Amino acid sequence: MKELNVIVSTALLQIKSSLARSMFRFCLLANPVVNTVLLYEMFVNSQREDFLSYVVLGAGLMALWSCICFSSAGDINRERYNGTLSLIYMAPAGFRTIIAGKVAGNTILSMITFLLSFATTKILFDVRMEVAHPIYLLTAFICTIGSFSVISVFLAYLLTLSRKTQLYMNCIEIPVILVCGFVFPADILPVFLRPVSYVLSPTWAVKLLRLSVSDTFNIREYYLTLLILVGVTGLYILLGHFLAVVIERQVRIAATLEVN
Amino acid sequence: MRRFFTLAWLSYKSRQSIFRLDEFLCLETIYPLLTLIFYCVLASYSYNTDNLTRWVVGNSFLLCVNTCIFTLGSTFMAERAYGCIRSLVAAPEGKLLIILHKGLFTCITAVVTVTFGFFAGSLLFQVNFSQINLLLFFTAVIVAMFAAAGFGLFIGIFGLITDQMHFVLNFISYILMIFCGANFPISQLPIAGRLISRLIPLTRSIEAVNMLFSGVIIEKFVMLLLQEAGIGAGYYFLSWLLIKGIEKTARRKGTLEVF
Repeated sequence: MKELNVIVSTALLQIKSSLARSMFRFCLLANPVVNTVLLYEMFVNSQREDFLSYVVLGAGLMALWSCICFSSAGDINRERYNGTLSLIYMAPAGFRTIIAGKVAGNTILSMITFLLSFATTKILFDVRMEVAHPIYLLTAFICTIGSFSVISVFLAYLLTLSRKTQLYMNCIEIPVILVCGFVFPADILPVFLRPVSYVLSPTWAVKLLRLSVSDTFNIREYYLTLLILVGVTGLYILLGHFLAVVIERQVRIAATLEVN
Repeated sequence: MRRFFTLAWLSYKSRQSIFRLDEFLCLETIYPLLTLIFYCVLASYSYNTDNLTRWVVGNSFLLCVNTCIFTLGSTFMAERAYGCIRSLVAAPEGKLLIILHKGLFTCITAVVTVTFGFFAGSLLFQVNFSQINLLLFFTAVIVAMFAAAGFGLFIGIFGLITDQMHFVLNFISYILMIFCGANFPISQLPIAGRLISRLIPLTRSIEAVNMLFSGVIIEKFVMLLLQEAGIGAGYYFLSWLLIKGIEKTARRKGTLEVF
């Protein structure tokens, strides 16, 4: 219960502090709008019947991922810059709980990107959209948020080890969007890239979302994808736990939390 | 002149020295190349085509955004953060020179990045560039980067009057991406959108380089590049006017380092 309180209060604080940053405001509010415009103009003459799913979901996902890259992943660096990293690291509430709260705050807030993307398509292009299977879409949506939260925690831990977070968070944005097939199916990528996309949980989250709005809904494929997504995300949780233990040990031995 | 180049080099070095060589290469080559690949694969899927010449050209020109918009655009933001704004304003050096020396090496890096992106993208997506006039291509790249650097400096000066530069710079990068005709034809845009596309850099140089692949009319090519250079010069001039105005206001109100 205490941990939950810490998570909730950290999440609320994170929402407030994230909204105060202009970069996050861009990722959250402007990015889904401009990406929707760009993707719509690129897809409008594609003669693909399902092109709206690529536009709305694609723009929402791209913005969600940007929020993760430029907030959750960068939070460690911000704490370091503000001189508070060691304080939250040693806080009795626990570093992992605080990070979980930060990621929860960011991810909950980032869900707005899908609404903005949908609203932009509706208002600017006056397009009619119908969701044939809302329950499946909702399930896919919840799983996507869960999966993205886990990968955010994973990234946040990983970037604890470096001071060049800004470089890395810039460098992971586009490759993940490309390899995970946010705006086109990952299956069109060259064969040698596919193993990389299969081990990344966003690939399965994106596939699940797209399947849930597909005209040719296939329940068997949906559940199989859901199962893989849960499996890959579970693997990330295990890896994240292992990583946290290793990093904690390394940081305590070398005393390099703020100067590595 | 020597001092100008020394200052230009120091300004460039101060921005890049934080990175090791591999990190510098990652930021200046691998990341831009991946961005180009992403938009080309997206175009290939959305337009259902294998002929990606237009997108390789357009997106390779857009690679300058990283250098010309983000690096130059954050110049004054960085000067403020390091507490150098007062020294800059109090310096006897003309403000236009200060603006120009910050753009020189950035412009050169952008030319290299765009050229690298174009050839690497061409090889990856089988764009046959053997038939085009490379001299005309390089001329177009240099003119485009001159204009883009001018635009970047113009945007960067807003760093003196707002603390929302991350929002501004990212938004501007998307404005360029949407309105310069790199990813879809400008004719798809409404009239207001087409007007914006005529006022920003890169639109004309991308159009000019696309002409090299579809049969170049030299008069039209030259005219497009002259217009592009004019737009660039216009932005340098506007930057100079803006910085003079802001400096004057800031001196009067004593708000040079606050907003």
